[in-house]
Amino acid sequence: MATALLILHGLVAVALLGAITHQTLAAWTPSSARTRSFFGRFRAVQPAGYANAVVGLYVGTALLGAVVYLYFEVDIQPGLERDRHWHALGFFDLKEDFVAIGFGLLPAYWISWRRPFAGERGRTGAALTTILGFIVWWSFLVGHVVNDIMGFGS
Amino acid sequence: MTFAPIFRRFALAYGTGFALIYVIARARGLALLTVYPSFGIVLLGMHRSRDVADPAMDFLAPEMWWYGWTATAALGALVIGSLATLCPARWARWFWPGWVWVAPVLAMMACVYLTIPWFRQ
Repeated sequence: MATALLILHGLVAVALLGAITHQTLAAWTPSSARTRSFFGRFRAVQPAGYANAVVGLYVGTALLGAVVYLYFEVDIQPGLERDRHWHALGFFDLKEDFVAIGFGLLPAYWISWRRPFAGERGRTGAALTTILGFIVWWSFLVGHVVNDIMGFGS
Repeated sequence: MTFAPIFRRFALAYGTGFALIYVIARARGLALLTVYPSFGIVLLGMHRSRDVADPAMDFLAPEMWWYGWTATAALGALVIGSLATLCPARWARWFWPGWVWVAPVLAMMACVYLTIPWFRQ
């Protein structure tokens, strides 16, 4: 059960990672639809169109992670402490904190893309998207390292 | 008054309040609930296994506060967001929208500071 949930958590996280990365780059460096380069095409999306998907995927990933975290605390963390993986546990602690803070940002993030704040020219939406993008990338990388740590660097 | 401006005020206050309250809850140990995953028990408030039983219980019955900190922040932010919707619209002009992203950045930096003990072991 825990393995199935972890795999599902990872799959939803991959979708979220793609959506938030597209949106972050499109928000800061918009590109025309006719560009030929891969990077240009990657940025040539309507960032506002990703807001609903990002909120849904973030909530889904966080809820699945919150369930998997229960198994982690009982089955995995004691082993990591026994093997003195203090840095990994510290990074994982930060992942929990960042994800919670990102969760609180979702209403402001959503409304900033639906109706940009007056006088801000979309900068608030872009800033919130960047923060969420950082949180998602951090969580993804730390989650993978902790998941693989018995092989990674051991 | 339409729904959008009210929700906008709520969202700004909620996001800013959530980040700040989460850090305060994290630093001061203000967890709304404590989860004992080994036993499937949830207790209201912040509890430590070693405080109520033998210190060895901390290893046998690990407690989790992250859910409690998140619940504290969500509840506190809900109150702040609700109060913001009750304020007159003209007051919103005095609130810089950028606080909604500055506060989380500051909160994340504070969380890094609070996590330093892990890296000193």
